[in-house]
Amino acid sequence: MRSSVRERVGQTIIVFLLALLCISVIYPFLYMLAVSLNVGSDAAKGGVYLWPREFTLYNYEVVLGNSVIQHAYLITISRTIVGTFVGLLITLLAAYGLSYRSLPFRKSLLGYVLITMLFSGGLIPLYIQLHHLSLLNSFWVYIIPSAFSAWNMFVMMKFIQGIPEALIESAEIDGANPVRILFVIIMPLSKPMLAAIGLFTAVGHWNDWFSGAFYVSDQSLIPVQTFLQQLLSAQDISTVLGSNNNQEALARGTMLSNVTLMSIKMATVMVSALPILCVYPFLQKYFVKGVLIGSVKG
Amino acid sequence: MIERLAKYRWQYVMILPGAILLLLFSYIPMVGIQVAFKDFHIGSTMWSSEWVGLENFSFLQDEQFWIVVKNTIYIAILKFVFGFPAPIMLALLINEVKNNKYKRFVQSVSYLPHFFSWIVVAYILQSLLTLDGGLVNQLIEKFGGDSVFFLGSTEWFRPMIVVSGLWKEVGWNTILYLAAITTIDPQLYEAARVEGAGRLAQIRNITLPGIMPTISIVLILSMPGLIAVGMDQIYPLMNPANQPVADVLDTYILRNGLQQGYFGMATAVGLLSSVISLILVLCTNQMARKFNGEGLW
Repeated sequence: MRSSVRERVGQTIIVFLLALLCISVIYPFLYMLAVSLNVGSDAAKGGVYLWPREFTLYNYEVVLGNSVIQHAYLITISRTIVGTFVGLLITLLAAYGLSYRSLPFRKSLLGYVLITMLFSGGLIPLYIQLHHLSLLNSFWVYIIPSAFSAWNMFVMMKFIQGIPEALIESAEIDGANPVRILFVIIMPLSKPMLAAIGLFTAVGHWNDWFSGAFYVSDQSLIPVQTFLQQLLSAQDISTVLGSNNNQEALARGTMLSNVTLMSIKMATVMVSALPILCVYPFLQKYFVKGVLIGSVKG
Repeated sequence: MIERLAKYRWQYVMILPGAILLLLFSYIPMVGIQVAFKDFHIGSTMWSSEWVGLENFSFLQDEQFWIVVKNTIYIAILKFVFGFPAPIMLALLINEVKNNKYKRFVQSVSYLPHFFSWIVVAYILQSLLTLDGGLVNQLIEKFGGDSVFFLGSTEWFRPMIVVSGLWKEVGWNTILYLAAITTIDPQLYEAARVEGAGRLAQIRNITLPGIMPTISIVLILSMPGLIAVGMDQIYPLMNPANQPVADVLDTYILRNGLQQGYFGMATAVGLLSSVISLILVLCTNQMARKFNGEGLW
């Protein structure tokens, strides 16, 4: 009897601690949401904690109506789609080719990949190389340099090697060439792995701000996260809105005085985070699976 | 031999694009390290610029550089000391929860921050900590304290980096431990209960030893990344006010190299940090061989 009381107390403490953790994750988003849905000048007085006090969608109208942000979104979406597709394809092709255990020079080729995981030239030599290849200030700087991932390649290769060889052999006897085998047999069997790695790649593209900040100087090429990074330390609203027809609209409206830098910032960051918040519940099982696949070799 | 190569021609064709990308973006930059010993300017090529010996390494006499080294090590150690045990403790806590729905809920929520960029996390910190209307300072003032400029203070920078790092990754890093816990034989727990072992005794004698191999693997794998303390995390939060403690090797390279154009010098700093992480990787592999009887490669 006594131990069961103790257990119940223990359970309560654990449940409480974990609830605190969950609140610490969820609350900042609720807070930012509330601030972004509040009239800026009112929110600046403080006291908005959970619920907007003077509700408005105006912050979002300004953010979503801004052509700089719209364009940054376009860049982010295109690079995520193209980058994920190209990255998965090139990495899968190499993983499949290297999964043949009897491939001549296989060991040397694996070593060739492995060395790049151990040592790198560093940021500056890479930058110089991007410059020589004329990739700086081009959309392709987001896609090409990161299209092959050594880490994902090893994970994929291990996974493919787990597929029964008898399947591949019987297809070979039927006269299928490796390309056909890859698309007809390997790919359908690798769906969970492709889903998981594809999601990680996509999230990586969505969240990358670095290449937009340093490999690109043309403002029309920056993705959303780089825009956010520039906005983070902005001191006044014009930095955000730029020389944009939005400003005219703002000037005409009486709302201008009600927008603050903070309320605009919160609306912008919510707009960039919402897609991930929305897809997260559906993709969660793949994320977990992905980590576990990745740790098979350990 | 040629026959065998021909037999595998498709495989080689498929490996080729990846191999070319590695050549272009990994191997040529390795050759590019020679820029560390050259007088390089954008516009010239790495071959055409002149050798200058160790001139680019004059940063070793720069006081600022050693502050940066100190900051890097400081932050790396702090992040490791707090960041390594935290997910183990969280996994043990989550594992103790009896209500399965709640358990799954906690897991889902704790993984979430991993999927947001450090930029978004920087905004969260700004929204909570800023002087004008930030939540934390509002509360401090309400309780009669003086507001603190967390984002621009040298004392608060390191705690801020450690806490935000924990917040973002602790849940995510529990995944492997939780998976390892599920592979422990439930009969062991039953036997322990029969012998009268309490919860804590069970954790100490069954769960912890059960996940020990996972702990050692995670420990080994975390070593190489140790000094890459995250431009991703630090750069967005760095400002002139906190720079004395915030400047780390990565940001130093970025500022002197890409922003001010001292390519040779920044490459030399990068070379040093690449060599250090290579040494960490090689030591790690030796450790892995000792622990597991098998290295990582």
